[in-house]
Amino acid sequence: MTHDDGLPNDPEGIRLMIHALVDGELDAAAALAVERRIAADPKLAAEHARIVALQGAVSRLPPPDVSDAFRARIAAIGMAGIEPQAPAEAAEPQRGAPSALPGLISVAGGGQRRDAGTRPSQTRAQPRARRFGSFDWRAMAASIMISAVLASGATQWVMQSGVDDGFAAAVASGHRRSLLAASPIDIVSSDRHTVKPWLDARIGVSPPAPDLVQDGYALIGGRVEVISGRPVPALVYRHREHLITLVAEPQQGGKTTQPDDLSSGGFSMVHWSDGAFSYWAISDMERPELDDFVARFRKAAV
Amino acid sequence: MSERALAQRFNEVVLPHLGDALALARWLTGNAADAEDVVQDACIKAHAGISGYAGGNARAWLLTIVRNTSYTWMARNRPRAMMAVGDLGDLDDMAAAHGTSLPDEDGPEASLIAKADTAALEAAIAALPQPFRETLVLRDINGLSYREISAMLTVPIGTVMSRLARARGLLAAELGRAS
Repeated sequence: MTHDDGLPNDPEGIRLMIHALVDGELDAAAALAVERRIAADPKLAAEHARIVALQGAVSRLPPPDVSDAFRARIAAIGMAGIEPQAPAEAAEPQRGAPSALPGLISVAGGGQRRDAGTRPSQTRAQPRARRFGSFDWRAMAASIMISAVLASGATQWVMQSGVDDGFAAAVASGHRRSLLAASPIDIVSSDRHTVKPWLDARIGVSPPAPDLVQDGYALIGGRVEVISGRPVPALVYRHREHLITLVAEPQQGGKTTQPDDLSSGGFSMVHWSDGAFSYWAISDMERPELDDFVARFRKAAV
Repeated sequence: MSERALAQRFNEVVLPHLGDALALARWLTGNAADAEDVVQDACIKAHAGISGYAGGNARAWLLTIVRNTSYTWMARNRPRAMMAVGDLGDLDDMAAAHGTSLPDEDGPEASLIAKADTAALEAAIAALPQPFRETLVLRDINGLSYREISAMLTVPIGTVMSRLARARGLLAAELGRAS
């Protein structure tokens, strides 16, 4: 049985991809491809269920108890540099030292607890931010992949397209990359209340992200594209087996324009503006279907 | 940077991740009391090196120090245990030879794994060979990404993935057997 979805075809390779799926290491397109393989193969489905069950069990293990006394001891290390006579580079832990600073300990300990209360959202965002920057999904895939099948039609689109707008070409290549499972990891979520804050935290803008699942277009996540040297938000919707990338470029002094067909070379692309954002929707769906998506999105995004 | 600013940074970078630090040290050293000693040593190193913290994931930065400190600590306090770890490459080969990396048709049911009690699961994790255990803990307990683990262990991402898969395979088999 062979597949042309760009995933490894050997059992070990596909198994590693299932782990990567469970670990949230795949982008939307690759996750979709792996989910399809799982759906088609009971053995893979059983493996997936095992991994999920195991991860669930491990995550339910009781976390270590960080006692107040221990936290105070560590906080005292942080305060040590402020004491003029305490050398910051104390090489050995001085067991007696922390207790010599009782006042500082209670101050530091109390302050820390307040800090900890306000900070979790930031600290949790950091791994994402880091992962986004330069996660070389390609290297990871290359180490286990047999082959990746290039969407040659998409390549031609960029090469021969009559659209000389660099932005449109960049949107198209971003979409193409995502289909090749080579785009950076981004947020995978069907919840717009997750996607919007994520985009907002990354780049300070978040476009309307209506969930159109009732209409057959499920919001499956978002990512950040860098186009013309600027980060712009992109939403990813799924319609049956097709992915739709919707890039939303913030507009200033917005004029509203009607949908404009930029389709070429096997990809459908529609561009419009609503005054606040300039939108580019691209997909390998047929044009009428993409028009339907655009119409529903515009209606819902008002 | 002033000492006060450095102290402030220590509070921001180190203190929120003490739970993660203790969890990692506990699984690397094998018990919770030693973990506190190791984390305290690690925090002193972190404090000394805080000006070298270049931003990015604070948790991964701290855990890297905790990991290194754990091994230094074990080499000093438990040289015998360290010797038993042996060569990492051998372990990868050994696990492969045991066939734990193959998708097994007769693997335990997911429901069996989900029902495993805490003690059995902890014993199974403790019994994992060190490289597999640390990879599993960094991923499933500390929540680091493959990329962060790869950087911390200085191994390719492919190796992280295969160690993780083998760790989970061994755990699943063990829990299936225990039930």
